[in-house]
Amino acid sequence: MTKHLEIRLSGSGGQGLLLSARILAQAFASEGASVSQSQSYEPTSRGGLSRADLVIDGVRPDFPLAEKLDYLLVLHQCAAGASDEIINDDMTALIDSELVTEPPAGKFKVKALPLTRTAREIGNVRIANIVALGALAGLSRMIDRERLEDTVRKGVPPKFLDLNLEALEAGYRLAEESRDN
Amino acid sequence: MSKQRLQNIPGNHACALGAVAAGCRFYAGYPITPSSEVAERMSAELPKVGGMFVQMEDEIASMGAVIGASMGGVKAMTATSGPGFSLKQENLGYAAQAEIPCVIINVMRGGPSTGMPTRPAQGDIMQARWGTHGDHPIIVVAPDSVAEIYSETIRAFALSERLRVPVVVLYDEVVGHLIETVDLQPAPEEQLASRKWAEGPREGFLPYRADADMVPPFPRPGDGFRTHTTGLTHDENGFPTQAHERVEAVIGRLLGKLDRHKELIESYEAVGCEDAEVIVTAIGISARAAKKAVATARKNGIKAGLFRPITLWPFPEEAFRKLSAGASAVVVPEMNAGQLALELERFAPGKVSALTRYDGEHIDPSQILKRIEEVLS
Repeated sequence: MTKHLEIRLSGSGGQGLLLSARILAQAFASEGASVSQSQSYEPTSRGGLSRADLVIDGVRPDFPLAEKLDYLLVLHQCAAGASDEIINDDMTALIDSELVTEPPAGKFKVKALPLTRTAREIGNVRIANIVALGALAGLSRMIDRERLEDTVRKGVPPKFLDLNLEALEAGYRLAEESRDN
Repeated sequence: MSKQRLQNIPGNHACALGAVAAGCRFYAGYPITPSSEVAERMSAELPKVGGMFVQMEDEIASMGAVIGASMGGVKAMTATSGPGFSLKQENLGYAAQAEIPCVIINVMRGGPSTGMPTRPAQGDIMQARWGTHGDHPIIVVAPDSVAEIYSETIRAFALSERLRVPVVVLYDEVVGHLIETVDLQPAPEEQLASRKWAEGPREGFLPYRADADMVPPFPRPGDGFRTHTTGLTHDENGFPTQAHERVEAVIGRLLGKLDRHKELIESYEAVGCEDAEVIVTAIGISARAAKKAVATARKNGIKAGLFRPITLWPFPEEAFRKLSAGASAVVVPEMNAGQLALELERFAPGKVSALTRYDGEHIDPSQILKRIEEVLS
């Protein structure tokens, strides 16, 4: 049976969080899970708080929105305080060590990883969303790695496929390295 | 079940796909957040089925184009939000008065005025019923899931065509942007029919003479029936009249036809209402929260029930009266200042407890559960 999971990917508008959420949602859906995805953004095309939530379950939930997070990604400082009502001690937060200067505070696990810096090193800062996805999946092992890679393959334009797969790989590597520490 | 039928799509896309499945072949609109994805998907889908998509110069013209297309015999719709819904009201009244089938999608965002474009609200509950001036017939359906947006959009077309009345599909931004798995099954056969077309002798044809079902047959353009269409109060011949004895009859029929077809129109979901001490009534994302709150309350030994109008207007009054008769309280969570609560107060006087919120955020199940406990203590 699929475990109930609540995941939030948050950051600044234009960072590609809705795309990461869609890829993750599709990966879970291909496992046969019921996935409810919701989002919130500001009326600007770039910047401002942006977030996408996934509620994973075996069946369609009565209430499809996040109430108590299991995983929280914060990719920009502007999103650091935006989840205060649904963060809790049992969750894990993954934050960008460069763009998040004051991470959300609590008794929960916090991993600060250089997601944006890694994306820049790969050659495109805009790919930080996929680095983050790889890191989150690597840390949590919430989804089968091959399945996630397969979903990325199907979901991104061929022109950018190699870049995306490299970013996903880099994210997994960051997670592994942080595990060793 | 084929994999193609099961899709993870947002509510707004489900709406567009439902419309196409229902046989809609004309869309005119002016994009506005948070309804734009309906237009976007229609612009992709309609050309595939030989339909027409027009982005008009504004909402007023869009509604006019939809009415024109429908007068031409095509199933037609538009989608909008916030101030766009206000702009459509005059022509919406024209459609009600001239009995021109059409479907209007309204994805609710924070208001009034341009309000909060990307934030959810449920503040158009009363506007959907009374937005255009004068006594007029209108049907409003209020789906609460992506799957139900699909099926209710199909039903909206069926009702609109069958009864020659505008139908509004009303849902909030959360449900419109929510992505859920939906089974895109074909529209039920009985919901696919177009309006009743005029037949018989052309000589002496009266375009607004109703059959026994109170609905006049629609003269199909090109079939040779003489007709006249106007927003002025008109007699059976379609021409204006202000003669009071005629007006009483024609407006009486216009308002009475929904009552006549109440059984066809009415739709609601009732869970655990029979023995409930407290009933929660809500629409859209608030109904989803209510569902969870009621289930949790039951687990905790509280006799709670859910009454959810799927057809919001005309409100399923008799069913609600009957099912709420034994309850001591009715909790009404809604993302406005208390519109649905006001209506329910008429049916359950003194029992209604409004749980309102209008800050652009949804209502959580925990808030509803707390209120359930409070009204029983």
